[in-house]
Amino acid sequence: MGEEAKEEFEPKIVGFTCNWCTYAAADLAGTSRKKYPPNSRIIRLMCSARLDPMFVLKALLNGADGVFFSGCHPGECHYIKGNFYARRRIAAIRTILKQFGLDDRFKSYWISASEGEKFANTMKSLTEEVKELGPNPLGGKIL
Amino acid sequence: MKGAELKREDLDGLLKGLLEKGVVDCLIVPHRAGKSVAYMLVKDADKIESSASALFAPSFSVNAANLVKGWTIKEKVGIVAKPCEIRAAVELIKLKQLDNESVLLITTDCSGAYTNQVYREHYAEIGDQVDSAKITELEGKGITIREACAICENRLADVGDIIIARGAGEDLVVAGLTEKGEGALTALELSLEDKDLERAAEKEKIAVEAKAKLASLPELNSLDALEEFLQDCIVCKNCRDVCPVCYCKECFFDQPLGDPVGGDLLNLAELRGAIGLPTGQLFYHLTRVYHVSTTCVACGACEDACPKDIPLTRFYPVITQKVQEIFKYEPGKDVDEPLPFTAYEEEELEECLR
Repeated sequence: MGEEAKEEFEPKIVGFTCNWCTYAAADLAGTSRKKYPPNSRIIRLMCSARLDPMFVLKALLNGADGVFFSGCHPGECHYIKGNFYARRRIAAIRTILKQFGLDDRFKSYWISASEGEKFANTMKSLTEEVKELGPNPLGGKIL
Repeated sequence: MKGAELKREDLDGLLKGLLEKGVVDCLIVPHRAGKSVAYMLVKDADKIESSASALFAPSFSVNAANLVKGWTIKEKVGIVAKPCEIRAAVELIKLKQLDNESVLLITTDCSGAYTNQVYREHYAEIGDQVDSAKITELEGKGITIREACAICENRLADVGDIIIARGAGEDLVVAGLTEKGEGALTALELSLEDKDLERAAEKEKIAVEAKAKLASLPELNSLDALEEFLQDCIVCKNCRDVCPVCYCKECFFDQPLGDPVGGDLLNLAELRGAIGLPTGQLFYHLTRVYHVSTTCVACGACEDACPKDIPLTRFYPVITQKVQEIFKYEPGKDVDEPLPFTAYEEEELEECLR
């Protein structure tokens, strides 16, 4: 892909965020008028433990250029231990994705409700990283 | 561990004793049927005969744990099987698909097995049992053990309640690993004495050979390699059905979202421009490998069951082992160890998250 085409590439990013922390952080980023790229489509989960790793697989297989997950910091889960379980599942699915070189397209963060600025900055850096990676090769395949 | 020496010809007596003394209500045990070996469910002790020729037969047909998956009956069932099958049974206990109180798990030593078709065809050459020298010799004649067995590091019996190990020469050693197992042997009026069945040197030797074999297999390390690997998959889901640790009552891939037909397929085709038919090989196998990622016992039943001869042993056990490594978890080893996805440490795995 030429340099010019790469600049035009606007990645589609699917994000899974927990209702209590990162979704609130996204809200805060909005109400604080922080600017961040509009490439992410956020799906709100009631807890990070709701993230079934199949969601990640499905998003990637359907051509999402990037997928991210974000929840409360470990130890600060609204439901006490949901993100501890989530962390194990994410570690497992990452290991599987890594085997096939897909792990670069799946990011995970811990962003609390008060970290609106961190959320905006994360979205900026994430979008840059995914732009750098280019389009998801799975998107155009006949699967 | 406590155990006793046993002559081969006394194997029948041992198994009969379990039934006659009421230690178990029924037994699932391999029996010889001509050139083949298959499992049978026994209630009547008289039906047990020539166990010595069946118990160590290097033949793999089904994973015995898959036969009892979902049995939550009160009657006590004894299962005599290879290490990988007993490991799967232990995982099923943890997954609440089997009741620990109503099973007696008896593990036999294994040297690696042939698929039951190969075993039947070449029974004259293979015989009732093999050792590593015999396996190498047969390999020269083009008769090879299953790939899952060739890369297996856990061939020596070291899980379950009771183990039946091959001692020096023709003799066997039967030993209890758990209280339940020792209790069963005591009920059989065997005189138990301390036995050392660690066999560290032998295990090490097997592990070295298995690792070398694994390293010689082509690695699936890119998306393109995976796509090519799964190209012939017809999503028949046989690999799921024979998998002892794939246990969902209702599989996602039997439901409309996982198994789309008609209009749903058209919608998918519209979304992507074109879709392959049958669709979803990658989604199915990647999901399944995640689902069994901590519990896969690497028995290779999936590969045996594949009608398209996809060497699934290069996919499932290889990848699940990497997941098991990050949790330092060995499936089937200890019935009291929690499944990785049901436990956590407060500080862990951050390096796996980036």
